[in-house]
Amino acid sequence: MSTAVATRRVGTGGRDYGYSNARVRGMRSRLFKQAFLEDLMKSEDLAAVIQALMQTEYRPDLEARLLHGHTAAQVDLALKDNMVRTFRKVMSLSNDEAQNLLTTLLGRWDLFNIKTIIRGKHMNLSSDEIVESMVAAGQLESVDLEELSKQPTVKAVVDTLATWGMPFAVPLRAAMPEYTESGNLAVLELAVDKYYFDWASKRLRGRNQNKALSRRFLGTQVDTINLLTCIRLLNADLGEEDPLRFFIPGGLKVDEALFADLANKSDVDEVYERLKRTPYGRPVEQVAVKYVESGSVSVFERALEDYMMRQAFAVGRGEPLGVGIIVSYLWMKSNEVTNLRIIVKGVSVGMPESRMREELIIV
Amino acid sequence: MIIKNKLAKWMFGSTFLTAMFVPAMALAEEAATTGGTDYRVGVAKAIAAGASMSISALSAGYAQSRIGAAGAGTLAERPEAGTFLIVLQALPEIIVLLGFVIAFMIGTAE
Repeated sequence: MSTAVATRRVGTGGRDYGYSNARVRGMRSRLFKQAFLEDLMKSEDLAAVIQALMQTEYRPDLEARLLHGHTAAQVDLALKDNMVRTFRKVMSLSNDEAQNLLTTLLGRWDLFNIKTIIRGKHMNLSSDEIVESMVAAGQLESVDLEELSKQPTVKAVVDTLATWGMPFAVPLRAAMPEYTESGNLAVLELAVDKYYFDWASKRLRGRNQNKALSRRFLGTQVDTINLLTCIRLLNADLGEEDPLRFFIPGGLKVDEALFADLANKSDVDEVYERLKRTPYGRPVEQVAVKYVESGSVSVFERALEDYMMRQAFAVGRGEPLGVGIIVSYLWMKSNEVTNLRIIVKGVSVGMPESRMREELIIV
Repeated sequence: MIIKNKLAKWMFGSTFLTAMFVPAMALAEEAATTGGTDYRVGVAKAIAAGASMSISALSAGYAQSRIGAAGAGTLAERPEAGTFLIVLQALPEIIVLLGFVIAFMIGTAE
């Protein structure tokens, strides 16, 4: 498996953040402002969106993809290509410490990709369909992911990962017998989730302030996932199954006791009451009315994701010569690409502007 | 000798400076009180002037290295900031100039 960074390494060794942070700040200044996204949403058709994006740094990726046709799917792929290219560029100019921390935090993209492949194989989707949904922003590169998606079964995917010596193969192999017996995909997903967050929190141990910041950020991610699980469990009938089975350790505020308590609640009001004194009380409260109107728990999912994204942006406001600037930029970039993908899809299917604005994450 | 501990570095630095400057001041005082000219005063003045110049030059070099690294990063992404960066890069030169002036004052002092 090739794990080497494709771009030539220019970053300094050790802990010197002067060069990398200056470059990242420069790159951050080129992120789209709200006004640009507003104009893009007002575009009449996809051609107008492409024309506007051609004037930006997305141009090289668009040029390469549009050779295969001026479709929304190709623009979508170009946007993802740009994101991956940017992530790899940032990795290449980071110093040794930042590379280590970023590899750990960006492992969530490997987690996302592996889960996508496993889901795809479970549903018997074609290799092309699976590849379209992936973002090679982690250690696994596009060629690796394509190779994995070509495997015939879930077991073959796990075996290939084991052959490559990928750490994710360990939990997958352990959970494989249970999956084969029950056919329940959640068994594999849960095992790989738990393994990643355990692996990442071990790598982020230490008193160094950059490690502490990354650890806090990872903890927020774990909390968000645990809370989402709790909210989903509200409508689920677990039967005899222990809800703590779904708990992922390593969170900041949501510990095992709070999770168990939340998982036993019967409605959202009770969940809110319990969360009131935690930082997650506010985002849950803000969308409570929306939940009453729509009756869908997805509003909470969205609110917690937004909260997580805001936390990611906030880590860049601290130490100017720390890893926070880089982490927040990567999440800002990912947010921008997600928003652009929403706009491209929205404009191509003629979605009303107000609906698109609702769908955008944070602008 | 590589000193890794920050506190040890500071202690070493301050002891070194004290060891250099205290005898120089004592000699100058002694020469002033006796009214005579001692060759050791000249040596002490030369050491003090040299320390003033070299420490300020090293400090400016350190500052410029940090500014230069960040400046190179900024220039790679935003070439339009070039002029502004040259000004920032030149600012620590003031530290050397001050060091030079102080060294000159020490050298010419009676």
